[in-house]
Amino acid sequence: MQDDPILSIRNLTKKFGGLTAVDDFSLDVFPGEVVALLGDNGAGKSTVIKCVSGVHTPSAGAISFEGEVVHFSRPIDARTKGIETIYQDLALANNLDVPGNVFLGREVEKRYLGGLIRPLDNKFMLSETQQALSTLHVEIPSLQVPIETLSGGQRQAVAIARAVYWEARLMIMDEPTNNLGVPEQKKVLELINKLRERGVPVILISHTLPEVFAVSDRLVVMHRGRKVTEKKVSQTNSEEVVQYMVGALDDTRQTAPAE
Amino acid sequence: MAQPDPEAAAKAEFAAPKTRSTTDQIILSIIQVWAGVFLAILILVFVISIPLVSGSSVSFLTVRNSQNILVAITPILLLGLGQTFVIISGGIDLSVGWVMSFASVISALALREAYNAGLALPLAVVVGFGTAVIGSGFVGFLNGVIIAKLKVPPFIVTLGMSFIVRGAALLMSENTTVIGLPRGVRDYGNESLLYFIRGEGGGFYFFTKPEISGEMLRRMDRIISYPVLVTVIVVAISIFVLRRTKFGRHTYAIGGNREAAVRAGVPVDRHIIKLYMLSAATAGIAGFLSMLRFTAGSAVIGDPLLLSSIAAVIIGGVSLFGGSGSLVGTVIGSLIIAVLTTGLVMLNVQSFWQFIVVGAVVILAVLIDQSRDMIKNKIETR
Amino acid sequence: MRKLTKLGAVAALTVALSSGAALSQEMDGITIGFLPGVVDPFYQVMELGVNAAAAELGITVITQIPPTWGVEVQTPILDAMVARGDIDYLVIAPTDKDQMVGPLQNALEAGIKIITVDTFLGDGDYADGPVTFPLSYIGSDNVEGGRISARGLAKAIGGEGKVYINSTNPNVSSVEGRAIGFNEVMDNEYPDIEVIGLDFNLDDMNTAVQQTAATLERVPDLAGVFGTNVFSAQGAGTAVVNAGLGGAVQVVAYDATKFAIEQLREGVVSLVLAQKPFDMGYLAVSFAAADAAGVTSLPVRVETGFAIIDIDNVDDPEVARFIYQVPE
Repeated sequence: MQDDPILSIRNLTKKFGGLTAVDDFSLDVFPGEVVALLGDNGAGKSTVIKCVSGVHTPSAGAISFEGEVVHFSRPIDARTKGIETIYQDLALANNLDVPGNVFLGREVEKRYLGGLIRPLDNKFMLSETQQALSTLHVEIPSLQVPIETLSGGQRQAVAIARAVYWEARLMIMDEPTNNLGVPEQKKVLELINKLRERGVPVILISHTLPEVFAVSDRLVVMHRGRKVTEKKVSQTNSEEVVQYMVGALDDTRQTAPAE
Repeated sequence: MAQPDPEAAAKAEFAAPKTRSTTDQIILSIIQVWAGVFLAILILVFVISIPLVSGSSVSFLTVRNSQNILVAITPILLLGLGQTFVIISGGIDLSVGWVMSFASVISALALREAYNAGLALPLAVVVGFGTAVIGSGFVGFLNGVIIAKLKVPPFIVTLGMSFIVRGAALLMSENTTVIGLPRGVRDYGNESLLYFIRGEGGGFYFFTKPEISGEMLRRMDRIISYPVLVTVIVVAISIFVLRRTKFGRHTYAIGGNREAAVRAGVPVDRHIIKLYMLSAATAGIAGFLSMLRFTAGSAVIGDPLLLSSIAAVIIGGVSLFGGSGSLVGTVIGSLIIAVLTTGLVMLNVQSFWQFIVVGAVVILAVLIDQSRDMIKNKIETR
Repeated sequence: MRKLTKLGAVAALTVALSSGAALSQEMDGITIGFLPGVVDPFYQVMELGVNAAAAELGITVITQIPPTWGVEVQTPILDAMVARGDIDYLVIAPTDKDQMVGPLQNALEAGIKIITVDTFLGDGDYADGPVTFPLSYIGSDNVEGGRISARGLAKAIGGEGKVYINSTNPNVSSVEGRAIGFNEVMDNEYPDIEVIGLDFNLDDMNTAVQQTAATLERVPDLAGVFGTNVFSAQGAGTAVVNAGLGGAVQVVAYDATKFAIEQLREGVVSLVLAQKPFDMGYLAVSFAAADAAGVTSLPVRVETGFAIIDIDNVDDPEVARFIYQVPE
């Protein structure tokens, strides 16, 4: 029996002036599944993601999260609900150390003299960060250095650990393996698998099809703002997906174009 | 819930931890403390050269001289203090010098009116202090709101505000100078925590100025005068706030990656408003202290100090691009400027040379800051 | 020579005043621009003098006071006044004896006659000096003021010891002259007094304190300080008092502002040299009126004199009237 969806997008449309970036898009995401969102540049993936994470407001349609219709006007609204987005540019403060980033905006303070003096509880935040990283089996030699000294993969791990620590209910990852070396890409994919094990659903945007087939349960292909197909990964292959991505195949049309 | 599988815990290694060669390590440590080293060398040069040039009885390292220098840095340091926060957050406050003048005028007016209305002098001084901090804090609030909410670049806003505040200070002052302050105000600005009389019949006196006269007065050193005491307290609190509190952490975060701070839920706009209020308020304290020191409110007293204070901040290693720097650096930067003035005068060298040295040191500071990044990059790409 | 010019001034003034009623008939046409150096009590008292003479003579005065001292502030205001086209005479305190020559020459070419007050152009000798186009210089002889300050300080320190000068900016005729006169007297009349140095504080009182404090360290047996304006003296006095040397090191302040008098009563400064800015303003307007009436024998240089104020005579009404009283 299928659970209720965590995220449910119904007939989402987003227009920018005369341009329709997303057209009547619907999608359900269930607990513990990894859904890949595919499509060429400008297919509308990013716009969908930005509507879900509160960057854009939809022109039409509804987004429900955990059974409840939501209207996000700022990214922080989505975060408060538990929707974490890991952007390509990471959204980390490079000059802060690892705990500084994990706890950014939610710092833990000690209180002295009835709250008059409130230093940061760096010890607590450090040990919590260590724990969060170790549950994800991530090892970073020193946590108390500015993260600009870390590698791209390590920083990606910090971003994921932050989301996990704050009990993300849904994780959106936009090209998480971009600009990473091969061993680091593998590590990030492992982290995605760990999220799945913990029951955290993931929406993954990627251009790397082998990666998508390696970690995803389902995939959704967009073309020119519309959803052209939605398949279980086990029921398709790279070639077919590419056909959908370039618009050669389209499930919403009654018949496939003539060969 | 799926527990992490211990078997799968083949802890994947990320890129090998970076190593730094010993030479780079040494260069990096020198770069980090160069301003302090420069200050030490400067003092050493003066300690050696002053007796040679001005006679063997003249010494740079005296208690009184150290106190003179501490008194001299108070305005530069207080202006540089708030500026350090603002620059770390990626902004700049060009209005601090004029806010200081403004605060000097309004606190003098308030103190005088409060005293004339029958308030006891200590209370009138408190009224003056409150007026300086609240009045200049309000100016900072305006700066912050326009910068954070209306998205006007800080450079423009604070430049415009400095003209407004300057005009207000000149209009409110009586012919640039507010006089007629009660007797005794001088003591608040010039007396000190501790007195030491050198030589015969001497010793330490706490809190109360010894009743002495004539030749003995010459042997008396004022140690930690009240303006210095107030500055030390403000600096200590600020260092704590910047290094150890959420406020400081957010300041660095906004300077490092403002967008990340917004996405992480840091109330960035409100924080920026607070930063400009802080900057203006410390300038206000500087204005208040100089009002006590000179027993008069002056609508021009802070005008020449803006550039010195920014120089102190940059010499101290705060990056103008935001995100990095410390208050200890600003303290050292201020000290370098004050030590130069005093030392050059004691060498009987025209003190205009001070500007040339300070200018060179500012440029050197930026060069060193850049080479620090270059060495870091070199290590990363190794 | 000096006597002559003083006599000339008195004569001109007498002409102007005695025929005031008659002049005012003819004076309806003339307009005087008044452009002092900076907003401060000295110039505000001068403005009182300007306005008093103008009221008596029925002359229109247009006053513009620069907010800060400097060529770059004064010149645009000057140009704007010239551009009005209705000003016949300009009473101005040039903020630089060299740099203001050009702008004022432009004013002259626009048909405005120039009278300089307090500060002058060139060397101040409008008869034979490098600059001769202004009608007249009316002010204190700042060199003489420096001499008087030197004699006052020498007397206060008993004719021997080391003294130091703290000044504002270089190349300003007023403070430069004060230092020159001061040095001259110390060199010629007081062989036992040594002037050990001069520092420029660039109009920053904090710097004045620091420079004087450092000088006291360098020269522990310093006997006196000459502050060439109120703020220099105030900064110097603060350093002296804080070094426990109040009363032991004498400080002379130039200009009898109420602030300077307050500092005198507080013991921060020991002597105050009062100039006579009211007379300067009054005379300048009278000269303009006389010139307009066709008087051709106006002196090119008039010195208005000084009064020395110390703690003993500050309450004497004869002396106290020289304190710069500005209406609030």
